[in-house]
Amino acid sequence: MPVTAAVGRVSLGHPARAQGLSPAQIQQDLSQIAEAAGVSQPHLSALLTAIAELDHAAQEFIHHWAETLAWLQQDLAAHFLAQVPDALAVLEQPAIEGWLLRAMDAFDQRGLAVALEVLQDLPACVAAQTLARTGCTLDQIAGFLRHFIRALGGRPLAIVSDPLTYTDTDKIYLPALLITLPEPAGNARLLKCMAVYLWAQNRFGTWRYGTVGQAITQLDVLGWQVFQRLESVRIMACIGRELPGLGREMDSVAYADAAARRAWGNFSAAAQALEAPHASAQDSLALVAACRALALPPPRQYQGEMLPQKVAEAIARRVPREKDALRQALASLTPDAAEKDPDHPEETPPEVAAEGAAGNRYSLAQTAPNAAGEPQYELRYDGQKVALTAELDALLQSILQDLGELSEEHLSPSGAAGIDPRDEQGSPGAAGAGEVLSGPGEVFLYPEWDYRRQYFRPDFCALTEQVVPAGDDAFVARTRHKYRGLAKSIQRVFEAILTETQRQRRQPHGDELDLDALIEAHVDHLRGHEMSDRLYTHFHKAQRSVAVMFMVDMSGSTKGWINDAERESLILLCGALETLGDTYAIYGFSGRTNRRCEVYRVKTFTEPFSLAVERRISGISAKSYTRMGVAIRHLGKLLAQTPARTRLLITLSDGKPEDYGSYRGRYGIEDTRHALLEIKRDGIHPFCITIDREAQDYLPHMYGLANFTMVDDVMKLPWKVADIYRRITT
Amino acid sequence: MLSAESAAERMIFEEPYYEVLGNEREVFTAAYRNQLPVLLKGPTGCGKTRFVHHMAWHLKRPLVTVACHDDLTAADLIGRYLVKGGQTEWLDGPLAQAVRMGAICYLDEVVEARKDTSVVIHPLCDDRRILPLDKLGELLQVPPEFCLVVSYNPGYQSVLKDLKQSTRQRFVALEFDYPQPDLERRIVEIEGRVGPEMAARLVKFGAHTRNLKGAGLEEGASTRLLVNAAKLIGSGVAPGVACASAVAHALTDDAELLQTVHELASAVF
Repeated sequence: MPVTAAVGRVSLGHPARAQGLSPAQIQQDLSQIAEAAGVSQPHLSALLTAIAELDHAAQEFIHHWAETLAWLQQDLAAHFLAQVPDALAVLEQPAIEGWLLRAMDAFDQRGLAVALEVLQDLPACVAAQTLARTGCTLDQIAGFLRHFIRALGGRPLAIVSDPLTYTDTDKIYLPALLITLPEPAGNARLLKCMAVYLWAQNRFGTWRYGTVGQAITQLDVLGWQVFQRLESVRIMACIGRELPGLGREMDSVAYADAAARRAWGNFSAAAQALEAPHASAQDSLALVAACRALALPPPRQYQGEMLPQKVAEAIARRVPREKDALRQALASLTPDAAEKDPDHPEETPPEVAAEGAAGNRYSLAQTAPNAAGEPQYELRYDGQKVALTAELDALLQSILQDLGELSEEHLSPSGAAGIDPRDEQGSPGAAGAGEVLSGPGEVFLYPEWDYRRQYFRPDFCALTEQVVPAGDDAFVARTRHKYRGLAKSIQRVFEAILTETQRQRRQPHGDELDLDALIEAHVDHLRGHEMSDRLYTHFHKAQRSVAVMFMVDMSGSTKGWINDAERESLILLCGALETLGDTYAIYGFSGRTNRRCEVYRVKTFTEPFSLAVERRISGISAKSYTRMGVAIRHLGKLLAQTPARTRLLITLSDGKPEDYGSYRGRYGIEDTRHALLEIKRDGIHPFCITIDREAQDYLPHMYGLANFTMVDDVMKLPWKVADIYRRITT
Repeated sequence: MLSAESAAERMIFEEPYYEVLGNEREVFTAAYRNQLPVLLKGPTGCGKTRFVHHMAWHLKRPLVTVACHDDLTAADLIGRYLVKGGQTEWLDGPLAQAVRMGAICYLDEVVEARKDTSVVIHPLCDDRRILPLDKLGELLQVPPEFCLVVSYNPGYQSVLKDLKQSTRQRFVALEFDYPQPDLERRIVEIEGRVGPEMAARLVKFGAHTRNLKGAGLEEGASTRLLVNAAKLIGSGVAPGVACASAVAHALTDDAELLQTVHELASAVF
């Protein structure tokens, strides 16, 4: 990508938007950008004249965004410039920013053509601006909604945006923007009611396994419309019973006008039977035929659509998966089940196993519902109650939400506890084969901070974890030998840290009397002076609770002696850390472009130090680029999950962040800085050890003044790393 | 050293309100008769402390309670020398006091205490039943009426503060959880002095907040919080306000979660 002249001028330490440019400078920059994008001369001069007539703030605004777009793609900038005088006439600046951000996100995710479509659709943007003044976006309340729906109970439902409002029993789909009501607050309430209604469909059994299948075969288009309304009557009765406050609130936003309310009144009267506490979706289904002739009221405003096919797909994916998961969980609950059944070899297919003796041992008994109104069950093994883990309980609840009861097959522990449920899921014909959520190939998506936009580029980086292949033992042995003197002295220093305990004297409280203080006090007392009450010694032992993540630069530039020095440092440091007993992990990072970011696992927090770890350290090798932000976000997340009072992320690096494409320069530095700020918020202290002599230019900005160290001689790195570690953790 | 008054002060004469959850009373009584120490596990505010009060009343023993904190040392428990009038004088700590008076000694949140407290807890809790007072040169033989009870919450403490096996394996353990809905409703009704309908709604509200445990909240609303809310409501505070003050703000500071708890309150009332 060609770098424009304008980008070169934005240097470190300046705010994102360059200010104080003269009109002439702006004109010159803009014409450069436009020319580079191939805008023809007559167009260009007309455009520049139009821009010159705007006030200075508007000109700076245009200048900033034209540069930002040009940095991404020059055509985007050209299209923006062509439209900007019109856009400024009808849109406010925040709306224009939103428009451009959408275009840039489209470019990041779906390419130039889609981005240009967004840019050209100015009328849509104008409409969106009007809407934004009255509407409520899902983003604004998604965080709250997730908690709220979670709190209401049942199977956890994700909330995602979609043009249609419905649930497929795994997720709740809601519109990204709602403008039905005149006020943003009203629309927020309506969005909440939609989410609650769709939650209630799941919770109160609209989408039971049997019912869905039956409804799909029985109902025609009109039938579905009737069913939808009948279910609405039933579900609202359920909500009114369980959550009366919510029921009243939903009623207040249900109808567009009085006529709709009346129509619903008439309809509900015909379906009164469904308001009884024990009415089920089956009853609604049975009533459809009788109600076909009735005048149908308009849908209640929150009730969304019913998409039975989507539901059927989701259920078809989930039911077998959860059955396997349950059977495995049961198998692991009873490790003796297989042993007690010598005539029940492990190869027995599950179907046969279900009929075996083990199949009859588990049973499920319904107990009193909990206070939230959810039915409760007790799992019994040979008649004895089995304590459920939270996960198993959630699994059972989810299965029962689908099926209403458990078959015998569900309750037979699977023969081979080692089978991964994903194996079956991935077999041909099984739905959802692409939905592998964990395992060695897991892909983590992380946002990236774009300082020009002052926004995240959502899910921009795709990161995978890989294992470093084992290197040669000889390197480890060589390092040990080369640094045997140093290793001893590091060891001694670290041991000294461990035994550092303080006896604090003259304390008001403590473990023992401080005799010196006591005698002094006694003398004071005898002489008639005031006696001190600080008469105790307090034995204070500094308890270490440190978790440290070493993030090792594996970019191509480390090839050779830097890489050797990094590996040597790590081998020495591991010995020292074992002495201290600190929790530590080592990961390398590298990658090429935002879609192929990689971290390399050398040692996890829970893995003990071993020969295998040493071999992996010696296997650390130079790879490609240094996209630091995403690695920091990922490793920071791992670190944040580790319990310790002090958490450190130490980066060993040889230079500034850099990647193929646009990550070099200020963009990469700002993203890295932002990632570091994010992990600081999680209580992690970042620290950087670098051998880049120019680090003084950018490291203070990224890490803060006191949080980095430059090592000028790479040979000193092994000693320095240990020394720095001691310094920052004591 | 120890006056009869001190023991009398620590007696509980009025029956503390307590609803039996299961067989905990029988198990505790049996453990007490067999001179076995008791470990109470369970989330905060589910009635552990109230249970100990109840049992102390039931068994007619004085109760010595120590709230443990991370600066609590063995010396704080057994006692220490003080200087009085130019002389040193020994002062019993609460544990030594409890042993001498044959009381029930309750160490609340025992994992919070410093590790060296296990030195005094261990010999008390196995068949030796002794309390060595090293500095006094005395070896207290523990009377049969004495009983050590400790509590801890396995839920929210980090792995760093887990109870060591060597300690926990000396105890008879009783697990507590929030009571079943019917029972919890009765507790809120009686303890919080509200009507059955209001109590039922508060309990339902509590159950919804407990769904958020691990998904934003460290803990859901405890029975204690629900009782507090009920008390406020009983004094004329509107239910929404009572739930906000007694529950929502007590649970979290996070704005989104606060909104969620508020909305839950208005959903059930």
